Amino acid sequence: MAVFQAEASAPTRLGIALMLGFSILSCAAAAIGVSDRTPPAADGPIVLRDSAQHELRLEHAPQRIVTLLPSLTETVCALGDCSRLVATDRFSNWPASVMDLPKAGGLDDAEIELIVSLKPDVVILAHAARVTDRLRDLGIATFVAETRNFADISRTVAAVGGVLGVPERAQILNRDIDRAVNEAVAAALIHLHGRSPLVYYEVDSGPYAAGPQSFIGELLARLGARNIVGSELGPFPKLNPEYVVRHNPDVILLSTKEANTVGNRPGWERIRAVQEQRICSFDPQVSDTIVRPGPRVAEGLRAIADCLTRVAP
Amino acid sequence: MLEGRNPGALTLMAISSREISVQYGARMVLDRLSFEAAAGAWTSIVGPNGCGKSTLLRALAGLIDPQHGSVWLQGRPLMSWPRRDRAKRLAWLAQTAGPSDLTASECVALGRFAHTGWLGSRQAEDETAIHRAMSATGSLAWAARRLSTLSGGERQRVNLARVLAVEASVLLLDEPTTHLDPPHQEEVGRLLREQAHGCRVSIVSAIHDLSLALMADRLLVLRHGGLVGHGSVQDALDGDWLSQAFGTPIKIIRHEGAYLWQPQR
Amino acid sequence: MNAANPSVRREAVGRRDEVVSSHFALWLTAGIVVTALLTAASLLVGTSSIRASVGWLLAPDALSNTVLWHIRLPRAVGAWLAGALLALGGAIAQGLFRNPLAEPYLLGSASGAALGVTVSMMATDASLAGLAWSGELGVTGAAFVGACAAITLTVLLSRGVLQTASLLLAGIVVAFLLSAVTSLLLLSSPDTWRAMQAFLLGSTAFLSWHSTILLAVVFVVCLVPSVLLSRGLDALTLGEDTAQSLGVSLPALRLALLTLLSLATAITVGQVGIVGFVGLVAPHLVRESFHISQRRLLVAAPLCGGALLQAADLLSRWVIRPAELPVGIVTACLGGTYLVYLLWRRARHA
Repeated sequence: MAVFQAEASAPTRLGIALMLGFSILSCAAAAIGVSDRTPPAADGPIVLRDSAQHELRLEHAPQRIVTLLPSLTETVCALGDCSRLVATDRFSNWPASVMDLPKAGGLDDAEIELIVSLKPDVVILAHAARVTDRLRDLGIATFVAETRNFADISRTVAAVGGVLGVPERAQILNRDIDRAVNEAVAAALIHLHGRSPLVYYEVDSGPYAAGPQSFIGELLARLGARNIVGSELGPFPKLNPEYVVRHNPDVILLSTKEANTVGNRPGWERIRAVQEQRICSFDPQVSDTIVRPGPRVAEGLRAIADCLTRVAP
Repeated sequence: MLEGRNPGALTLMAISSREISVQYGARMVLDRLSFEAAAGAWTSIVGPNGCGKSTLLRALAGLIDPQHGSVWLQGRPLMSWPRRDRAKRLAWLAQTAGPSDLTASECVALGRFAHTGWLGSRQAEDETAIHRAMSATGSLAWAARRLSTLSGGERQRVNLARVLAVEASVLLLDEPTTHLDPPHQEEVGRLLREQAHGCRVSIVSAIHDLSLALMADRLLVLRHGGLVGHGSVQDALDGDWLSQAFGTPIKIIRHEGAYLWQPQR
Repeated sequence: MNAANPSVRREAVGRRDEVVSSHFALWLTAGIVVTALLTAASLLVGTSSIRASVGWLLAPDALSNTVLWHIRLPRAVGAWLAGALLALGGAIAQGLFRNPLAEPYLLGSASGAALGVTVSMMATDASLAGLAWSGELGVTGAAFVGACAAITLTVLLSRGVLQTASLLLAGIVVAFLLSAVTSLLLLSSPDTWRAMQAFLLGSTAFLSWHSTILLAVVFVVCLVPSVLLSRGLDALTLGEDTAQSLGVSLPALRLALLTLLSLATAITVGQVGIVGFVGLVAPHLVRESFHISQRRLLVAAPLCGGALLQAADLLSRWVIRPAELPVGIVTACLGGTYLVYLLWRRARHA
């Protein structure tokens, strides 16, 4: 069984200490006799309602966890409980320790048998009806947490913290994330000197743009950048390339894969960002922090901010 | 030409058309055609290509809806018969048939469909009918062979057996002698005669080979759009209907009891 | 005697047919044995090694009980039933349209199911109310409704079931139309697009006992009437006019068989997504090998299709174990190979 022991980093040690403390406290509370029933297990039962309106009931904090979304994996690890993961989806790649865990497929094609054979206490995933129903049929507890945009991050962190039985740790993490985000934004705004570049973020060749309603769009808005895409087009509209040329963004942000050839697209040589070489390219590892609404959001912000402060006109 | 007969006076073994018109698009194929197939007789439809022989047969079989007029079977309009009863009384042989993986005996057994129904459970009388039909057409030898492995002539005989197995009182046959070699063609002619005279079956056939067609009792001579005449073979010869129908002189000679078409050199 | 002489060849083939058809019962038994073997193999193949699986059988515990009897067995049985339903649909389609290359999705059911699933998934995302009704229906229900709607649209478009040519044409039109609508919807929601991929490639991974029982009931409900109506299909092989003159009501036959075809296909697409080739290859393979009547075909083709999909499911779990391939990819490979073989054989005889 490939259960991985997390390296004892500071947050982990703190987390373990907190858990122990909480366990001792609740044991004490139970011993004092808050109720006249048999005292519950150390951390007490967990009863929560998830995004799919299903109720999760656990006798005690889960020790064996499967996550089926990279941002959820990162949240669990950021809460210091990487060691409790027994499997993730194939796209989870942070922190490096999860790469050694068994991979249970994607989200919609999760491998049921693999998950069941690992005997998890709970499976944390995003909306995936077939997978959720099948797991619940087989008696596996599931918890659905959907994280679409910025506001969802703190909600998901709190929810996952509740599932793991570490709600205070979740509160601390949320505060940390907020602080990191605010710091990143503040620093960026200083370095931008009040510049508000017109930007175009390309999510995928198509071209698919990140609109203001998307998570990425929200990050851009926080940095004061203006999006060439209006919110009426939806979160990830597929644009007519002509649209980009007409709106003439100051900065183009996209993956490194496309960065070299973007200038060759017909008509795009007229775009200011191409002419003046104001192109931000992010390799896959950095992209991950930008596209995943999760605990590393501040890193993603910093990556965008760094580039913008460099190249914005 | 409607032969002025009161339908009620007909014996029950007949099929007739009354003023039927069939039109394909703008082309009028049959124009107010009325005739009666006499009971217990073999009527042959003759005429040039495209004059409507197959169309008439299909209209009689109820496979085409005529634009005007109606077909009457045994004293009732054809369409008033329930489908199953109609299928028991009327058997139709198509001019061409597509490939089929059925065995010969399965094909002939399908002739009993109207009798046995969907479940296909065969009673003794069904077996007798099938056996009789197959031995009459000489197709017993390849009963277990698939139709697609039989030659054209063998297949034709199986199809004929299927038609006979229905034990219908009216047989409508479109080119029953195609693919058959001359001895078998003659056999079929004799078989049809026997069915008509011996079993009181009314047969209406379209055969393009004149010598074979003239083995029948009565002729229905058509030309494009209209009826030339309907009567016995002798009537047809007396009235020289065939020449009128084909538009060129047709000479028929009688030789050793059979009518033969003599090609003009 | 020249072996290329057609009548000699026909004789030889005819003799072989006699042997084969007289042993039809034997072939059916062989099919059942193969199915049993595949089911047993399905119990042993999965995320554990074969040795471990055998160990589980000998010394069961809670985990092995769940994995063997609640995951692998319903999956194997469900795969057989799904394959059997698809093959039955294919046999009906091939008999009804008298086209040996017809397949059960030809009335647009696959595109309809995809659209149904897309709408359901987008409703889940859109709002809580959407979540409620799409949760009630589920992906399987949405696919079923979508498939039925597509077929209804096809029949309406072709103005009834009288003309096979117009039915086929309408089916193609509906398939393209609904695919376009699906693509349009997916454009506005890339998340759903990612989720749809799993559905479109077909998957036996979510078959539970509940699904299996449902498939079994539908299989019986579709098989029995089809076999009863198969004589009509036999008559149809002699030609439409001949069938009609024999007393077969063509519109009634078509309506009944199309309904059965639709039910079989819609249920299967709901449960396993869009699995291609099984519905085409199984009846075609049986017919090419055995040349039997429609009644026997409607019994033999499901047996072949079931075993085929079971084998594909087994392969999909074996090839990159402990990971899985989508079963639709495996059936495409197997089906494609068979069709290539057909082409080669045809070229060889020409």
